Amino acid sequence: MSTDNQTSFTDIPEAVVSVAATDRSVSMVVDSELYPLQAVYGASYIFIDRCYVFIDRPEPGKYRVTLTAKESVEEAEALRQLVGEYANELLSCAWRHQVTQDNRVAIETVTVQAIAGAMGEPSLDDLADFDFTDEALDDPLGIAQSWEDKHGRKSPAEKEQAKAKVPEGEAAEATEAASTEEASA
Amino acid sequence: MKLINLAEIKPRPGTQAFFRWRQIGDNAVLITNLEGNWLILDTAEFTQFARGEVEADSELHGRLLDKNFLRSNYDIQAAAERVKARKYFVHGGPLLHVMVVTLRCNETCVYCHASRANMDAVETDMSIETARKAVDLALSSTNGFITIEFQGGEPLVNFPVVKEIIEYATERNKEIQKRLEFTMVSNFALLTEDKLQYLLANKVQLCTSIDGPEELHNAQRKLPQTHNAFQAAAKWIKRVNEAYVEIGLDPTLYHVEALLTTTKATLDKWKEVVDTYVGLGCKTIFLRPVDPFGFAERARLRLEYPRGKYLEFYRNAVNYMIELNKQGVEILERYAAIFLTKILRGEDPNFLDNRNPAGAGIGQLAYSYDGNVYSCDEGRMLAATQDDAFLLGDVDTPYRKIVGHETIRAMTIATNLDQQPDCVNCAYNPYCGTNAAYNYKAQGSVFGRMRDNNVCAVHKGIQDFLFEKLAENDPEVMEIFERWTTIRPREHFVQEPGAAAELAEGETPSAD
Amino acid sequence: MTELRFPREVYVGEAVDEAVKTWSRFAEFELSETDDHWVVTVTPKHEAAARQIIGEFGNFVLGLTIDRGGVS
Ligand code: SF4
Ligand code: SF4
Repeated sequence: MSTDNQTSFTDIPEAVVSVAATDRSVSMVVDSELYPLQAVYGASYIFIDRCYVFIDRPEPGKYRVTLTAKESVEEAEALRQLVGEYANELLSCAWRHQVTQDNRVAIETVTVQAIAGAMGEPSLDDLADFDFTDEALDDPLGIAQSWEDKHGRKSPAEKEQAKAKVPEGEAAEATEAASTEEASA
Repeated sequence: MKLINLAEIKPRPGTQAFFRWRQIGDNAVLITNLEGNWLILDTAEFTQFARGEVEADSELHGRLLDKNFLRSNYDIQAAAERVKARKYFVHGGPLLHVMVVTLRCNETCVYCHASRANMDAVETDMSIETARKAVDLALSSTNGFITIEFQGGEPLVNFPVVKEIIEYATERNKEIQKRLEFTMVSNFALLTEDKLQYLLANKVQLCTSIDGPEELHNAQRKLPQTHNAFQAAAKWIKRVNEAYVEIGLDPTLYHVEALLTTTKATLDKWKEVVDTYVGLGCKTIFLRPVDPFGFAERARLRLEYPRGKYLEFYRNAVNYMIELNKQGVEILERYAAIFLTKILRGEDPNFLDNRNPAGAGIGQLAYSYDGNVYSCDEGRMLAATQDDAFLLGDVDTPYRKIVGHETIRAMTIATNLDQQPDCVNCAYNPYCGTNAAYNYKAQGSVFGRMRDNNVCAVHKGIQDFLFEKLAENDPEVMEIFERWTTIRPREHFVQEPGAAAELAEGETPSAD
Repeated sequence: MTELRFPREVYVGEAVDEAVKTWSRFAEFELSETDDHWVVTVTPKHEAAARQIIGEFGNFVLGLTIDRGGVS
């Protein structure tokens, strides 16, 4: 990397501690005391259609976000804009993060009253009908194994791999359940 | 658009109730809250709101208070009522039951690959036995409203089974007493006067496809030999509309609805498309972008286009429709009507692909000709390309097993926008929806990734357009939007339990 | 061959595993870990698209991490 390619940033946005750039990418250092990781995630996510995004920890108390343009960029100006935009998104996400925290109780109360409230109490019939053997209850959200893994299209090689793998604990049960189901299907 | 610089504004949390925002113009910021209330603020107002510096006796304070945007006065009860009204469908159960009575089709459409079979492929006809079981399953839905939609292929090709479904369902509904409706999506080329009379007598709502002006339509939707697909559809649209008048129905409410599939070739024909629909007497256009389910990969390049191009087309077409409305022509765009109903009325029109959570499995089921049951029509089409990810069982599977299937659970969780990374922050969250089968097909997971998701891009672009219009606040346009969101129920299409089957007498049409 | 070091304080381990599985069609992966990092060595199968494969893989890991609510 030659120094010719370095873009100098004279007007670093307030949210960002420092900026370094090459001809295609820009790295910004953010203070993790001021910006929660959730805000860094939120702002970074907004760029993943346009940039390759990488986050690391150059030193304790700092995040470094590197945005690399997917398409070739029109030189320094485009990168400068990325920095400005990222800083704006970071502020927005941090703000919204705090607003959501402030209002968490209200949000939960509204949701519970609106959604859960409408269900009413389960009747005796509901309980009698309830299938307590439902295997999915062991893993209601499919955390042990993703839905795509279990139901999505599988290539023959992937099927073999899935069978050959010996995972541990819950994941093992889930995978076993899946392959038995396949075998019996 | 000159972007708002938050570093200059220096927002301070603390005074705002939960809200989301989006800049929609140089000097216009949309804020929306948990229950879907919204306000459009200018930059100065947004700055005051963001900093928590709104004067207590100001006009802005009044507006924010009125729409429940202030934390200190947040009305939980009112918010809960509104959320409840928006989400009434969550406990309903499947209401739309798509029945693919055959894959055989007389037309060959350029974007349709997985969904059709040649006219001699009789093995893709649904059997009477399967049809009855499908009806039994549909009627066991917990939803009190049931719509059976005939699809294909071309449903008129297997008319005996269409009749069987209508008559058997109406008969069974005498005891079950649900609000039962039938709709049929057909290219109309095989319609005859006898079949029409039967469908009218049995109150089957008819819907067809028009891809734009004659030349474009015929280039995309081909009938064999010298037949003209456009003329066939046009002739019957006219005839059906006349027939509605003959039986005394109000033509402003009862008329054939048509669906558009927007391909690359449609994009610069927005004016011709709208004029064609108006010329055919249609009152609604649904400007649907082409979806990736039906067609073969090799057709993609010819038909697909960047979503930005589609949105340009959409804006041109709808602006033109608004102009026509100003001149007294009655024509509405379906997407706009769906979003505006949620935005302006705080109600959900229950359009299953644009709901949160989406309708797959909990709002609709699709029954394939062979008796397999899928979460949605897209899932059924995907299975035709050897991917049965959305197969839930078959017509012999008990209802609770179908709707309790873990695929439905995964799809419902995936389409809950409050867990989607982008949607949690998006101002359009209260009015939006995502499609799990689309996400899976296009992006490899039912969750998808909204940043480069085409459905998201379309929804975002349409709502940008609509909120720009709302920000302009032109009284004439507002009145048009008001009309577009007035839902007049078409009571005629609801079956009266016990009455309809007797009307089913008459000829037995041969199935071509 | 490129070595990517994903800090454990930012990236979820399952997201790395999941992304490796999804991208195994396009690249060879070797996984190891240190106290602070998930270390992934990527060897793209198509030289011409190497930059894209490595970049999209990184985005995928980030996307899945965020989908899972991130590192708490
Ligand atoms: S889109 Fe409909 S009419 Fe056209 S070929 Fe497919 S099934 Fe037939
Ligand atoms: S799908 Fe797109 S437009 Fe809709 S809420 Fe999510 S991010 Fe917003």
